[in-house]
Parts: sequence; C-alpha cells; structure tokens
Amino acid sequence: MTPAPQPPPRTASTAPLGRLLAAEVRWVLLRPRTLVMLGLFALIPVVIAIGVVVADGSGGRGLIGATAGNGLVLPVAAMTLALTLLLPLAVAMAAADAIAGETAHGTLRGLLLAPVGRLRLVGMKASGVFVVAVLATGLIAVVGVLAGLVVVGGADGQLVTLSGTTIGLGDALGRVALVAAWTVGQLAAVGAVALAISALTEHPLIVLASVLGGLIVFGVLGAIPALDFLQPYLLTSGWTAGADALRDPLPLGGMGESTLRALGYAVVGGGLTVALMLRRDA
Amino acid sequence: MNPHPDDTAVAVAGSDGAQPALAPPTDPAGSPAARVRGARKVFGRTVAVDLIDLDVPAGSVLGMLGPNGSGKTTLIRMLLGLTRPTAGTAELLGHPVPDAAAAALPFVGALVEGPGFHPFLSGRENLRRAATAEPLLTGREIPAAVETALERVGLTDAAGRRYRGYSLGMKQRLGLAAALLVPRRLVVLDEPTNGLDPAGTRDVRRIIAELHTGGATVLVSSHLLAEVEATCTHVAVLQSGSLVAAGELSRLLEADTSGLVITTPDVDAALRTLRGAGATAFLDGDGAVVVADGGPPAPEIIALLVRAGVAMYEARRRRPRLEELFARLTEDTP
Amino acid sequence: MGAALAGAVGLGLLAVPAGAGAAPELPPVTAEELISSVMTADPGPFNGTVKLDNQLGLPALPQLPQAANGTSTATVWSDGDRKGRVSLPTGQTERTLVADGTTVWSWNSADRTVTKSPESEGPHRRPAADPTAAATEVVKHLRATSTVDVDGTAEVAGRSAYELVLAPAPTERTLLREVRVAVDAEKRVPLQLTVLATGSSDPALRLGFTDLTFGAQDPSLFTFTPPPGATVQERPAHAEDAKPGAAKPTVVGDGWDTVVIAKAPTGERAPELAALGKPVSGPWGNGREFTTAVGTAIVTDDGRIAVGAVPEQVLTEALTK
Repeated sequence: MTPAPQPPPRTASTAPLGRLLAAEVRWVLLRPRTLVMLGLFALIPVVIAIGVVVADGSGGRGLIGATAGNGLVLPVAAMTLALTLLLPLAVAMAAADAIAGETAHGTLRGLLLAPVGRLRLVGMKASGVFVVAVLATGLIAVVGVLAGLVVVGGADGQLVTLSGTTIGLGDALGRVALVAAWTVGQLAAVGAVALAISALTEHPLIVLASVLGGLIVFGVLGAIPALDFLQPYLLTSGWTAGADALRDPLPLGGMGESTLRALGYAVVGGGLTVALMLRRDA
Repeated sequence: MNPHPDDTAVAVAGSDGAQPALAPPTDPAGSPAARVRGARKVFGRTVAVDLIDLDVPAGSVLGMLGPNGSGKTTLIRMLLGLTRPTAGTAELLGHPVPDAAAAALPFVGALVEGPGFHPFLSGRENLRRAATAEPLLTGREIPAAVETALERVGLTDAAGRRYRGYSLGMKQRLGLAAALLVPRRLVVLDEPTNGLDPAGTRDVRRIIAELHTGGATVLVSSHLLAEVEATCTHVAVLQSGSLVAAGELSRLLEADTSGLVITTPDVDAALRTLRGAGATAFLDGDGAVVVADGGPPAPEIIALLVRAGVAMYEARRRRPRLEELFARLTEDTP
Repeated sequence: MGAALAGAVGLGLLAVPAGAGAAPELPPVTAEELISSVMTADPGPFNGTVKLDNQLGLPALPQLPQAANGTSTATVWSDGDRKGRVSLPTGQTERTLVADGTTVWSWNSADRTVTKSPESEGPHRRPAADPTAAATEVVKHLRATSTVDVDGTAEVAGRSAYELVLAPAPTERTLLREVRVAVDAEKRVPLQLTVLATGSSDPALRLGFTDLTFGAQDPSLFTFTPPPGATVQERPAHAEDAKPGAAKPTVVGDGWDTVVIAKAPTGERAPELAALGKPVSGPWGNGREFTTAVGTAIVTDDGRIAVGAVPEQVLTEALTK
C-alpha cells in the first residue's frame, strides 16, 4: 500500500448538482420497496379493468361505473381512486425515507460531511420524492390507458365524457395527461409537507403515520357541514376535481383552484423543510 | 484481509508509533488542522462538552481518549459542523465551522458514530453513492476511487454483497473506506476499531500510519488505550466533558514519574546496595526493583550493582504506560 | 421559514371569497324602469356558472337528494335565443341538458341514458307590445300585496347590479321577509335571486351567477349526439299535461299567502312521506305537517296536499274552506 498522495489543488466545495440529483434518483429506484410499490401501482388499473369487465356494466356509480364500455375513463378513475390514499402514502413513504430514513441509517451525516450543502440536500431529497410521485402517477396513467383500451375497450377507441359528448383518442390522452399532471401537483404538496415532518423526526414511521392521520383528519373535517368554512384550507377538499377532466367543455376551475391550494401547501412544506434542515443536528 | 491472530505482538511492535518520530509538517495556512476555543455544548440540562480549548496540530495523529460519555463524539461533531456549539468557536482546516464548513469538508474524511450505509445496497453501491457527493471527485474518477478505497480496507471481495449481510467488522471497514475515498488533509475516526477483529485492528493502524506518513492529520477517538498508545503522536484526554490533559504523547509520558527498572534474582541485595548508595529504591508490583530519578545517574547505579556482585537480567528506563497516565488523569478529576 | 409563512398567507388569500367588494355607484332607476328594461333586454349569447345555495330546510328525500340543504352549481351556455346547454355536475356524474333549437336532449351519465323530447312551443321570449306599459301593469299588480323598490346596488359575479326588492305588505300572512333580485346594470338580466325568510338574516335560498361572460359561444355546444353505448328514450312533449285524471290544483287566497291544494302524488315514484313530518289534525281531518324556513306543507290522510309560504294556521284555514 502506497502512502496517500497529497490532495490535488482543487477548490470545488460541492459536487455538481446534476450528479447529486441523478444519484438520488438512482438511490430511490434501487430501493426494493420503491420498486414493489411502483409494481403495485401498475396493478391498480389492471385490477379495476378486470373488475369492470367481470361486473359487466352492473358495477356501481361514479367513475368506476363510468369505465364500463368506456375504457379511456379508466386512467382517470384509477388516478382519482389512488389519490385518495395510496398515492399520498407512497409519496409519504418516499419522503420518510428521504430524510428521517437517512438519519436512521446514519447516511444523512455522510452526505452532510461530503459536503452536500443543506439547501442542496433539501433540493436533492425533494426531487427524489417528486420522481416517485411522477413515476407512480405516470404508471397508473399509462397502464390505465393500455388496460382501458385492451381489457375494457369500447366507445370505438374514443372517450365518452360525463357530459355525454364523445372525444377522440388524442384529446382523451391529453386529458389523461392533464389529470396526471394535476395529480402530481397535489402529490407535490403532500410530499413537501411529508418532507417537513421527515426533517423533524428520526423515525420514518412517524412521517407515514402523520400523513395518514392528516388525510383522515382532513377527510373528517371536510365531511362536517358545520366546518364548511375550513374547506378552502383543506388540501383534500379539491381531490375530486380530477373527474372534471371527463367533462366537456373542460372546466378548469376545480383543478386550477386545487393546484393553487397545493402550491400553498408546497411552499409551506418546502419552507419548513428548509428551515428545519438548516438547523438540524446530524 | 491478512489474518493475523497475534494481536499482542502487533500492539507491542506498534508502540514505536508513539515516538515523536516525525516533526509535524506545517499546514499551508500555518494553522492547526482543527481547533476549538471555549467550546461548550448543552443538550437540555446535560453539559456534554464544557469549555474545551484544543488544537489538533497539522500532521499529528491525535488520540482522543475518554470514558464513554466523556464528550468525545460531541466534540468531534462540533468540529465537523454537524452540531452547532452552544458557546465557543470551532475551526476546521482554518475555516470556521459550521458556517464555513463547506470550504473545509471536501478535504476531511470522517467516520463518526459508526458506519452509516443503506442495507439494501451493496458495499460498492453504497460507496459509489458516497463518492457521488464528494466535491473533489469528478464523475469519471468515481469508479476508480471506489475500487481503491475498497482495496485499501480489504473489502474488494465482499464489495458486491449487500450491506445488510455485512459483519460488524466489514461495516466498520466500509465506513473507513468512505472516509478514504479522496486524499484527505484531515481524517477523523470515531472509534475506528469498534467491532474489528485483531487483523482489522492491525489494518486500521496501518492505515493511520500511512495517512500520517502521507502528511495527513488524523484525529482518532477511542476508549482503547493500547490503540492510542500504538498509533498516536498526540493525545487529548476528556473526562465528563472537560479536557484534562492534551499534548504530545511522549512529553506527557515523560513528564510522568520515571526511573530505572532493574530485574534481578537477588532483590534484597540490590535494594540494600542501592539504598546504601543514597538512591530511592523500592520493589514494584512485578517483583522488579525501581530506582527513582533524582539520585545517582543510571550508569552509576548499574556500575554500583555490578561492583556489589548483584546479578541482573535487565536494566531499562521505566516508561509509564498510557494506561497508568490515563487512569491517574481520569481518577484525579472529580 | 419566510417561505413557509408566505405559503400560509397565500393559502389564506385563496380561501377568502372573491367579489366581496363595495356596492357600485350606479345612476338611480325606478322599479318600473328596471322591470321594463328587463322585459326588453336582449343580452345575446353568454355562458356562466350558476350557484344554488339552498337553506330551505327541506327534508332529505332519498328520491331527491338535491332538495336538501347545500349548494350545487351548474354551468350554462346560451346562444341568446332558443339554443342552450346546462351542465349539472354532481360529484363524479353529470346531467346535461341541451336545447338545439328543435329538440331537448337530457343526458344522465350515472346510467348513461339520453332522453329526447321535442322542444315545447311555449312562450319563449315573446316581446311585449309595449314594455313600459307592461312593466307598469306588472308593478301595479305586485303593489297590491307587496312593496316593490330598487334598494341600492350590489356586485354579483363581478358585475354591477341593481337590487330589486319585493317585500310582502304588512297584511300578508307569510313566512317570507323579502325577495331580492339583482339585475345587471348593463345587460338588464337577472343575475341573482335571494329569498329571505322572517326570523333569519341568512338567505333561505340564493340562486345566482358566480361567473358570467357575454359573447359568442361555440355552436357545437348547442348540438348533442347520443354517445356510443347510451340508451336513448323518446318522450313526447307535455307528457305530464296529457296524463289523464290529473286534477287541477285549487288555489286559495292571493299574493304572498297563496295556498295551493292539490292531490298528493301517489304510486311508486311518490316520496315516502309517512315516516316524515309531524302528525297534525284539525276540522279538515288528520295529516302530517312539514315546516321549512320559507313554507309549510300539510299532507292529509285523505290524499290532499296543501302548500304555501305561510304559517300552519293559514294552511288549516285553506283546507277547511
């Protein structure tokens, strides 16, 4: 073993951001539970599609019922359904692993010592969570379109909107993409808040429990008529707006308002995450 | 890794490292590699570190000694900018921490509070992830740096296995590898031999010696005294959050009580002869005769005994073991 | 931390209802002028969102969930003439009504049915020969039992409006306090209807635009093609009127305390009323009484139903007659 050479005259005090982001995404995607989770998300539309075909049109109200013989509703129905619980939990899990999990493994310290600046670290972690949100939503959308066209079929390759009009495949795909983008926006808000909780604790499960608890509390608050005045503040109160994409003409009000609300949550969550991370002992 | 069962032999041979053989090379900035002034850290009502002033001279191997809970790790975390001192200042390679830690940290390798890696990744993948965050490595250099570090700690063969399946020693080695990914100016090792087998301990010593030879500063914390005695040029002794002694190891030991140790089959004759000549002589616990300094010089004592016909196996300078020094320092302090 | 605060403030701003501005300044008009201008108004094509805020206090009937307290919205499009489209979204379903000039299409996404009926040739925007005279007549008729006034101005759906207020004369025995109609100052179309009951400062019913835009509309909005997979039912015009044996309801009284007495609906589609309401009896027999914020109804055991925006006593008097 030769003695360590003298340090080369380099002055870089931080690694390139692109490399850090790529490493974060690689880390997220190498994690077995991420892959299992994404696999389950890909299954959601398939399971709904099979259920709709087996029920043969007698299956229920709402978007699932609207899917029968109208396959292009499936991706929107699946995303709307998953947004109520599964997608937020997936994002919360990613956020829990991102900071609290890294702390629990002692790896956050390693990153801070490299050093990765604390602000950059938040950016890195946020993009990892965002990638999970995008992949999970994208998988549901893509598998939903395929399963809708192949398994459910119907409507002559077109989409019958809730308003009773018929729109072409291209337009329908555009609407699926719109719902996917909107869903990712909502998930970004959940992710930002989950990251803030993650920056507050060393126990990943606390993050999951908080997000689950938050969803339940918001659901309950939103269902109490006497607390109607809270509706504009509850992130979940706009989560039915995805179905608007199936109306014609397309009303953007609901999705626009919930996106603004999500932006508010994202800014609050992001700001808190940064503030907490700048102070956090590692 | 080369299995070497004879730990004791290694420890004795390694005691040469305690000699101030190399003059510490001066840091380009002329400042110590790390420095704290008036450092104090309070967690709630617990004072973890209390008003410590300490320099880690550039080029030294400083062993930080202290019982568990004496504040070693907290002090190291303050130096690395991982935690903000409640009061006082800390400097790393001349840069104030934590505020300007980013300027110094690329040149600092650290293994603090045990190795931290992801269980689902292989050792190599874990190291790659760590290397990605190293500012001094370009993307192209990463694979080679990872392999070199793996080889240096003897983990090349196990690098493809998941960290989950690593033994305590392998985990420790991987942590060491992460600290050595880049040529460093300062390497901070918190309990590096924790969980290592004798061969692993020997490797850690070898690595510390290599770093030292290469001009890097090493800060090792340990509660294993033999470990520090074998590898360090300097020591700092912590007790209940306070620094009770710090300095060059050889000076500290020399300042301690010394004398001449004479091994003889004829203890009574030796004691009688020496006391007759006005020297302070007594019997130590091992049955050897100890002649305290302050009386006749050593050559005269030996000549005296030879003339008196006292048989001798050996006569040597008594050098107190670090263990004694440490025990005294930590017991004296309330 | 600053960003978090900014986000919280943004969230708060988002929640503040828009359009709560001060009452606009408008030139004064009389009630007659206002009603006359409404009768001749030709707003042209428009689209908008209509919100119904129902606090009438009706019982929640399983057959008619919309009747219960709550808010619902609809989006409307009009070509300014005979063609129009109304979209009534409810959760994840939607009802759509399209009048394409000759046919009225009704679509229900829940069961994917289309009901097709020819458009009635009813009085559709028949311009009065002399709007001013007609308006004067209307106001005169109203003033027999009410006070009619233009009471200030308001902002509705971001537009300036006059507030036309009808209040019952003191002699009227009614549960209603007043009815306010906000009329667009420029286009002279009603923008909002508010019904206020006695004893409450909150409206019992408010129906109005929350959003309104005038201008040409896409002609494709006023056509409807039944989508693939839909069930199409044809319904002849005026099906209800043609039903044999449907007795004409009796009207007792006039003005605000009018009581309508009719045969209670029977058959499968009739709401299950037996379990609801409060048992009452009187010289007219026995029955069940339903009270809401704005009206009272009595369903008698002999199959009559009396309804009016009146207290119970007026109903019993009417039933006894």
